[in-house]
Amino acid sequence: MHTTRARDSEFTLLFKIIAYGVILILSIMCLLPFLLILSGSFSSNESIVRDGYHLFPTDFSLEGYQMVFKFPTQVLKAYGVTVFTTVVGTALGLFLITMAGFVLQRKDFKYRNTFSFFIYFTTLFGGGLVPWYIMLANYFNLTDTYTVLIFPGLMTPFLIILMKNFIRSAVPDELVESAKMDGANDFRIYFSIVLKLAMPGIATVGLFLALGYWNDWFTSSLFINNPDMYQLQFYLYNTMNTITFIDQMAIGTGITLSLDVPTESTKMAMAIVVTGPILFLYPFVQRYFVKGLTIGAVKG
Amino acid sequence: MHMRNKIIRHLSLVLALMMFAGVLAACNNGSGGSVQGGKEGTSPTDKGEKVTLQFYMLGDAPKDLPVIESEINKLAEADLNVNVKFNYTSWTDWDQKYKLLLSSGQPIDLIFTADWTFYQSYAKKGAFLPLDELLPKAAPTLQSHVPDDMWNAVKINEKIYTVPSTWIEYVTEGIAYREDLREKYNLPKPESLETLEAYLEGIKANEPSMIPIADNNSNHTHGIRQLTSKLVNTAGQLPYGLDIMYDSPSTITSYWGSAQHLEDLKTYKRWMDKGFFPKNVLNVKDTSNSLLQNGKAAVVLSGENPNKFNADVIKVQSTHPDWKLGYFAYPNAKGFAQPVHPIHNGFAIPRSSKNPEKALAFYEKLVTDKRYNWLTEYGVEGKNFEVQDGYYKMVGDAQTNGFPREGMNGWAWRNPDFMLYDKTFDDVLAMFEELDKIKKPDIFTGFAEDWTPFQAEKAALEQVEKQYLYPLNVGLVADVEAGLNTFMEKAKQAGLEKIQAEYTKQWQEYLKSAGIQ
Repeated sequence: MHTTRARDSEFTLLFKIIAYGVILILSIMCLLPFLLILSGSFSSNESIVRDGYHLFPTDFSLEGYQMVFKFPTQVLKAYGVTVFTTVVGTALGLFLITMAGFVLQRKDFKYRNTFSFFIYFTTLFGGGLVPWYIMLANYFNLTDTYTVLIFPGLMTPFLIILMKNFIRSAVPDELVESAKMDGANDFRIYFSIVLKLAMPGIATVGLFLALGYWNDWFTSSLFINNPDMYQLQFYLYNTMNTITFIDQMAIGTGITLSLDVPTESTKMAMAIVVTGPILFLYPFVQRYFVKGLTIGAVKG
Repeated sequence: MHMRNKIIRHLSLVLALMMFAGVLAACNNGSGGSVQGGKEGTSPTDKGEKVTLQFYMLGDAPKDLPVIESEINKLAEADLNVNVKFNYTSWTDWDQKYKLLLSSGQPIDLIFTADWTFYQSYAKKGAFLPLDELLPKAAPTLQSHVPDDMWNAVKINEKIYTVPSTWIEYVTEGIAYREDLREKYNLPKPESLETLEAYLEGIKANEPSMIPIADNNSNHTHGIRQLTSKLVNTAGQLPYGLDIMYDSPSTITSYWGSAQHLEDLKTYKRWMDKGFFPKNVLNVKDTSNSLLQNGKAAVVLSGENPNKFNADVIKVQSTHPDWKLGYFAYPNAKGFAQPVHPIHNGFAIPRSSKNPEKALAFYEKLVTDKRYNWLTEYGVEGKNFEVQDGYYKMVGDAQTNGFPREGMNGWAWRNPDFMLYDKTFDDVLAMFEELDKIKKPDIFTGFAEDWTPFQAEKAALEQVEKQYLYPLNVGLVADVEAGLNTFMEKAKQAGLEKIQAEYTKQWQEYLKSAGIQ
């Protein structure tokens, strides 16, 4: 008896050492590239070209940031678009997803499985890029509108399923029933009970949505022709692509592009400017995050 | 249970009907639109109903585009009763967007075409309207502005699908090198394989901190091939390791695996041993030009066309005025230069256009009317540019000016009669003049290979090339002969012989149809 317990604690210790070790290595692996970008953004371009990237800037300089903010209108416009789509998209998306989740988990909703099937189905079979593009561009005429930046990302089947399962486990049927008996209608139940009890789930799904909108560049790339409406990520991505293009295509095409090519340090500074705000969002919702994800993941 | 099944059935029926209706609507939009457009046909004198043309160009729009657009629309409304919306794809995934624009059936009236945007294959697939009958009706001035041989050169299956640009340029490459270092150490001019090697040796010996050759992804091989052979194309590299010489185009041999190939690879091995390349050359991400401009390398062997070289010179003059750059054009080694093929820059009218005649009439204005042409190439005179002694002069600098020279990427509607050049461009024009003296027509670009018969093999071969040929190209394989044998073996397994045979067949057919001996 005594020996097994001792062995148990030995194993626990061993497990802890391995677990901490693995987590430590993984965190360093996640952190290093970011540190490289950070240090690159604070290095002078000369030193990057000459010696490559370093974990700590060998030649400290703010020229990258100076370049980014020298003519800030474009960057600020793109920032505005991204903040707008993120806020509006996340708020609208959360409303729709919680509504859908609440309805789909109600046992007294007769066709919940049918509707769930329609939602599940789209995760298995999609039309592909071309029909999607034709739908949004030709039928809904959404090219060059803010709607196109928000609408396609509003609801994803995965998040609806996550929310449905979360509400099911967080809000017992009995609670809904007793509220009904006390005279609350469905909207009252939704606003006063479900939304409050589902806070961790909402934080989780909200973060997913916000990240999705913040990192989106593809919709801009396909549907936005007006540079004033570019999302931040696309603005950055497109700048980089233009450089690649000049390098690879201009040889055979003879094309001359009359623009200033951003330097290495400017690119890094842009990356930091772009990722910055969303990094700060994470710690605030993190405490809900773990709880929301695990409870929502339990199938029922 | 019964009830639910019924509901599902109903819903699926509704869904299916909706999809069907969608397909029908798509068909209607696509074909109906163009038929209608054809019937409505307006002669140049009858201005007809006012329409908005959708104009698509590659790349990014300049800042002042809205100003230019409204200026152009004032003119176009008075002349043709049309408005134009200028759209830009941006360079991000432009090839995918280009495909989507043409395949989705959106109404587009004018779109840029070039050999590198696969003009030939889109034209063959019927993405563009044939212009043969439209031209004399809608744009007679444009028709006579473009010479007949150019119209003939852009024909696909006997029909014209694009309006070529009439400005002739050269995108042939050459060696760019540090002339100041050459003078300082009394080295030979790098104008042949031997003198190039001697030059590189001199650099290595005297400037130990420099890497003599600016290179990434073993691009130098294209340059060397242009220096040492008379290949039929200007880029120095035929696909699938084939060799077609300009003087005997119907004879096709395999360069890969030949004695010449082995000898070249031995040269690269020797160069690596002498330290002309950095050890991690296959992972270099910097562009060759930035390496040269920053003084890390002394020679650029590929991608340096006259235009790019000129840009390097301007850049170096501003950052390191004590340096000097030299240039040796590969056509001088080959003995002939090929100007760009007429399909290299052009504009087509997609099938989805609702107003093809008005589109063509507008394009005619863009090319042949100086007001339209200057506005779209150089911006507003006095605000964006000035003309000084016949030269183009930018107002302000690249950051403050909202419309730099050719800011709309208007390479396709350049008109030699109206063109203004920056003073720095004189050197490029001088180079063009030199190249004009040894001009021969481009017989390669008119050919469009159809790789559908060997698509899988092509993909497999690309992998083999990266894995086995690239290391050989930069001398990273100790035993060159054995390395080449391994590469050839793997390439044959990937289907090299099938690809080469099919390519040869298509090339011979092209030669016959184009009447090239």
